[in-house]
Amino acid sequence: MKSLYTMTLVGTLFFFPLLLLAQNHLITGKVVTAGSQDALPGVTVHIKGAAAGTTTLPDGTFRLNVPDANSILVFSFVGYLTREQALNGRSTLDIQLQPDTRNLEQVVVTALGIKKEKRALGYAVQDVAGADLMQAKQSNVVNALQGKVAGVQISSGGGAPGQGSRIVIRGINSLDPGRNNQPLFVVDGIALDNETVVTGTVSGSTSDPNTETRGMSNGAADLNPDDIESVSILKGGAATALYGLRAGNGAVIITTKSGKAGRLRVTYSSTAGFDKVSKTPDVQNIYSQGNNGVYDNQSFWPSWGPTVAQARTLDPTHPAALYDKYKQAYNTGSQFRNTLGISGGTEKVVYAASLSQFNQNGLIPFSNYKNYSARVSGNATLSNKFKMGVSLNYINSGGNRANFDRYGEQLIYWSPRWNMRDYIKDDGTQQTYGATDNPIYTVYSNRFEDNVNRVIGNLNFSYAPFKWLEILYRAGVDYSNSGIRHAAPGPKGTVGEVPSTDNEFGFVDEYTTNRKALTSTLILNFKNKISSRLSSDLKVGQDIYQRKLKRVSTEADTLDIPDLLILQNAKKVLTNQYNENYFLMGIFGDWTLNWDRWLYLNLTGRTDITSTLPKANRAFFYPSASLSYIFTEHLKIPESILSYGKLRVSWARIGKDATPYNTGSGYIPLINGPIGGSAIGWTRDDRLGDPNLKPEFTNTFETGAELRFLDNRLGVDVTWYTSKSTDLLIPLKLSNATGYEDFYTNVGSIRNKGIEVSLNGTLVKSKKFNWEMRINYSSNRNKVLSLGQGLDEVAVAEHFGYAGSTATMKYIPGYPVGAIFGTSYQRYYGSDKEDPLMIDHSKPMIIGQTGNSAGFPLINSNQKYLGNSQPKWIGSITNNVTYGPFSLSVLIDTRQGVKKYNQLANFLAAFGESAMTANRFEQVVFPGVLADGTANTQKVYLQQAKGPDGRNYGAGYYRNVYRGVTENFVEDASWVRLRNVSFTYQFPATLLSATHLVSAASITLTGNNIWLHTKYTGFDPESSSFNAGSNVDAFAGFTYPATRSFLATLQVTF
Amino acid sequence: MKRLHTVLLYIALPGILISSCSKSFDINNNPNQATTPPLNGLLVSATYHSAINVYRVSNITSYLVQYLASPNSDGATDTYQSTDYSTTWKLLYDNMTDIHDLIDQAGKQGAARHVGAGEIMMAINLEMLNDLWGSVPYTSAFNANVIQPPYTADDSVYTYCIALLDDGILQMKKTDTKYELDAAKDLLFGGSNEAWIKTAYAVKARILNHLTKKATYNAAAVLAAVANAYTTNADDAQMLQFQSLSPWNEAAVNNINNSLDGWLSAHFVDAMNGKTYGVFDPRLPLITDTTKFGDYRGTINGAGRIGSGTDQEECYLSVNGFYSKPGAPLLIATNAECRFIEAEAAFRSGDKKRAYSAYILGITANMDKVGVDTAKRNAYLHNPAVGVGEGAITLDLILKEKYAAQFLHPDTWNDARRYDYKYKNFNLPENAQLTTFIRRLAYPDTEKSRNGANMPSVKLTDHIWWDSF
Repeated sequence: MKSLYTMTLVGTLFFFPLLLLAQNHLITGKVVTAGSQDALPGVTVHIKGAAAGTTTLPDGTFRLNVPDANSILVFSFVGYLTREQALNGRSTLDIQLQPDTRNLEQVVVTALGIKKEKRALGYAVQDVAGADLMQAKQSNVVNALQGKVAGVQISSGGGAPGQGSRIVIRGINSLDPGRNNQPLFVVDGIALDNETVVTGTVSGSTSDPNTETRGMSNGAADLNPDDIESVSILKGGAATALYGLRAGNGAVIITTKSGKAGRLRVTYSSTAGFDKVSKTPDVQNIYSQGNNGVYDNQSFWPSWGPTVAQARTLDPTHPAALYDKYKQAYNTGSQFRNTLGISGGTEKVVYAASLSQFNQNGLIPFSNYKNYSARVSGNATLSNKFKMGVSLNYINSGGNRANFDRYGEQLIYWSPRWNMRDYIKDDGTQQTYGATDNPIYTVYSNRFEDNVNRVIGNLNFSYAPFKWLEILYRAGVDYSNSGIRHAAPGPKGTVGEVPSTDNEFGFVDEYTTNRKALTSTLILNFKNKISSRLSSDLKVGQDIYQRKLKRVSTEADTLDIPDLLILQNAKKVLTNQYNENYFLMGIFGDWTLNWDRWLYLNLTGRTDITSTLPKANRAFFYPSASLSYIFTEHLKIPESILSYGKLRVSWARIGKDATPYNTGSGYIPLINGPIGGSAIGWTRDDRLGDPNLKPEFTNTFETGAELRFLDNRLGVDVTWYTSKSTDLLIPLKLSNATGYEDFYTNVGSIRNKGIEVSLNGTLVKSKKFNWEMRINYSSNRNKVLSLGQGLDEVAVAEHFGYAGSTATMKYIPGYPVGAIFGTSYQRYYGSDKEDPLMIDHSKPMIIGQTGNSAGFPLINSNQKYLGNSQPKWIGSITNNVTYGPFSLSVLIDTRQGVKKYNQLANFLAAFGESAMTANRFEQVVFPGVLADGTANTQKVYLQQAKGPDGRNYGAGYYRNVYRGVTENFVEDASWVRLRNVSFTYQFPATLLSATHLVSAASITLTGNNIWLHTKYTGFDPESSSFNAGSNVDAFAGFTYPATRSFLATLQVTF
Repeated sequence: MKRLHTVLLYIALPGILISSCSKSFDINNNPNQATTPPLNGLLVSATYHSAINVYRVSNITSYLVQYLASPNSDGATDTYQSTDYSTTWKLLYDNMTDIHDLIDQAGKQGAARHVGAGEIMMAINLEMLNDLWGSVPYTSAFNANVIQPPYTADDSVYTYCIALLDDGILQMKKTDTKYELDAAKDLLFGGSNEAWIKTAYAVKARILNHLTKKATYNAAAVLAAVANAYTTNADDAQMLQFQSLSPWNEAAVNNINNSLDGWLSAHFVDAMNGKTYGVFDPRLPLITDTTKFGDYRGTINGAGRIGSGTDQEECYLSVNGFYSKPGAPLLIATNAECRFIEAEAAFRSGDKKRAYSAYILGITANMDKVGVDTAKRNAYLHNPAVGVGEGAITLDLILKEKYAAQFLHPDTWNDARRYDYKYKNFNLPENAQLTTFIRRLAYPDTEKSRNGANMPSVKLTDHIWWDSF
């Protein structure tokens, strides 16, 4: 706002000499806001059809000389409806301007932290106001964006307290599965580290598998959504060409609340809520513990025994009914948040401060998350040439993170014949049966806790020595210190103790990570009016980003005193460290030409120089061009038909670099330490880097239109885009016979294309009753074009399945990025040719004729295409209804055409727990044909061991056949979800004025994730078994269940 | 004009800043690694992991030859399910890569001893790969330029093993070498060249003895190799130092702590407790403890445990046992094994006298190693079922005793396959997924997904090269 005022003022001063030439009539007047009658400074007053004009002063008054006493004056100001007023000979005009509520922001924050008028942008930008963000009362700012922006796919990893969320804009355009495919987060012009922390351990690679499945937070989760004023999502290439390669996947520009001039304002908000599990798998409750139909209450096998009735005759202590494992396993969670905010200031200085506390207890017992944050910010106008701003945010976050994958796995092994909740004996050791571990005892005794202290600070200056030049400088620091402690006690050695397997002999692991990121941006902004209708805005600048990371790990095991959890109590101690440095510099230019405020041309160019590529390829250049044409202004189309219409087109190229240390290879000491105490063995490290690494490039083209009809009651924003990424960087998994595990190199190209449609409309508009609806729809098609290096396929990730049914995510030319491969049923093709990759589901299954597989479907162990994890389309509908002081908001969102490999279903079938295995003693004839094509007629029993027909069925159908076919477990993970319902009551001002203290107050009741419709049989089709930073989204097995939350919030402003 | 100069100055400023910074970008060498490893550092990892790999492979084969049994019914390895051993495959190749680098670096530095030791260890590891998987990538392996290495034929891999051993022996005998092996870093033999040479011959004898089904089997060549191999237990190739626990000791300790492992198979226990052969083997109490019933009983492969598994109802590797006590030696090649190879080769060439003598020496050697009391040892040797005399010595007897002496060694699976599993009372496991005995392993899932085009299609009943006539 302020810079706009400055710009307009400067522009007007330029014209002042011209004005003085004409001996004209002097018009004076005052402009105020309609309703409150507040003075409006900075309003543009100009003569219709001419360039001459002025702006209102801080008190709202203006003076303007006009040549013609019958001129029409046009009053326009951002955020208000433009007003035209004919003079008709008057020399004084008092004008009231109506606020423009059609679009919350006519000004968006784009790259470089510069606000631009939305009209000037030739590319798609979508914004979300802070109030909208707070609607869902989500603690993680990324989750709060769900359903609000077209083309943006946000997947919460699961319901763990503080669990990371993944945000992908316009599809995946990078192939490295471990690489962050997420957009750049920028807070007040400074990039925020949004990585998800993983630990380093001595016993493996730099990432401990245990942290993968602990729902670690993404960095942006540290932000308090209450502190956010607005969020702009920059989606396409041109939008992000100015932030450089770190914004290659888009950018989320966050503007925090700053102070406003005026009296001191204090706001306080308090939220309390509880969470329940939203969905659990269907299990059978008929068959009890044992194997082969034989009861054994100490058995490793939880559910292959006889019926409950039969078991009770053998074991009088058997409960009347089996326990409901999934009910027992999850608590009711709770969450509390309190935020206190202060803001105020004068004309010269404004400030804002906030304090917030957040605590959450999770669904898995003993899991929790806390986040305490303190923030101060100030902006000062030191002179009419010099402004500065500063802000500091300290955040302390962390919690006890349950290993949800292990918890889910141990749940499978637990037999429902036993009470899981009875998990501990009086002597503190595990209460369990046989040699099985009690899952609740495991999360009780095996603790993984993280504690992060983070400081985000920034400083910015703006100096305008001349009217055509402004110098902007921003510097920021993001420093975090993270301490992780993973410890468990050893066996006590008491009689009858059943030690917990995961605790081994007791261990204490301590990890300390320091991460520091420094950003510095210098911009020179040249603004010129080239002619009466053509103006130019040129920005030239330099950007520096430096990141240093240091991690020290100490892992100690075999404790002398079993429950003294300190490092010096351990018999074996191993240490390891990891250092990483990264440096990036960018030099850029951004030039906007504006013809009469209805045609805008924007050109950008940027050169990035990075430390992660070899010297020859280190610097690379990428340009962009975009055009925005507001045809309603140009063609003077009447407002009653089309109040606003803009066409936009843009082309951009973005470059991306590699992750550090991938241009070579080396040797490391043997993990697990020296041998015999002192001999250090050296071995080749698993990763081979390519010394000729090049940057990746993505070329994007987008075009779109933004239209508003019916006096701004209805708005449509449509975008069509296509982008092609080449020379993609990926760690190619290699056969171990090469001596390496993977090879980091440029390989392949992919293409994304799609459309985004955003509709918003005010269906009912009256004084008391308002109904607004917003619909977002987007569809992205992604295809791997080629792989390079002479490869036909690249294995990206695998997820275990029993009996060879391991599912693989592969990149194969012609298929989308999330292609899932695995085993399938053999099918009879007759004289038709069987495609090596695609399955023809219309063909009948082949049923075996001989040996153990006689009468059962046969398995095809070749890897075939089973589905794709990239959705065909995603959409959301938001309805906002206001009736007097009441308002109701409902958000429904959906994702369609998605498939995921459900490892949970694989395990449930293998252990006889899934509901479908209740038919295990039945006799069936499998529909299908024999090898020669004749119909199958053989009757078989689905059970284990000896059947009524005398045949020995061995381990039974579900273990022999069903669990070994990946096809059975690649499920439709499409869903429709009632994501958020929010009901607010605003206390009327008349009631509050009686208190002489409170100026505004409201109560909100919110329900999140209340209803879900999906065919997916696991916990939640949106969850993932991999962490939030990963690109591997095809696998969901033992995820943290999604939560259904109910919250109440009280918000008070003093 | 002045304005133009000012504009140019402002644009030039960043340029000045840029040019001073080029050193800030040269920071991409990974500080967490070494570019060149020390030659003896590679020796440490090569010797250590060659030994540990013997354990890893044994952890598969012991269940196939029914030394050990899974405590869970329908255990995957026990019941011949198509199991994925990607980890073992990776660890074998990782070690072979380090050995390859050792040979390469040593060759360039003229360190013949390191080349020799490397080649001998390469043969040990390659032999295990060959025995489990037959045809495996070798000639184009360890090469970063060949990212999908083709598979080398089964019999060629075998031939390479022999060639590696022969050249290894030559290298160890060279007189003009610059460096000797570092005694502290050679974790197997403490730098002794003679020990390496003897080991090379022992392994060569073992490998040559695999050809019993082939027309090219040459008993004389086997005997010639054996003659240069071990003569006393002091020659045994074994690992005595570990990063934490000796692997089988770790299995025994885990078992006590509820992570069930190291359960003895009923077949093995019955062979030792007198049930199968009518003689109680005095080594049995030195391997395991009695059950709560006071006797020795194992678990049937595929059937799994009969009780809770934590109640001493069956035999497990004992923390007091020779093979699984703290610091238990991990055996790569032994004097006992050499004697049995000698016995078999001698028998096959018609020399029953030599065969019987080697047979007795083999039993003696192993019993001494395990720590059997001399009186009990002699009593066993004089038992008519064991000490049958020269005239009555048979292949069955030789292999029966070799089975006991080679407890937990991976080479037993080679013996079993050559012998067509004809041990007395050796049956298919319960719920076996195959109708005949298993003959090879399936290729790992990682090869299927990463090198699938080159990976041959096989069944678990396919005989590998030396296992077929």
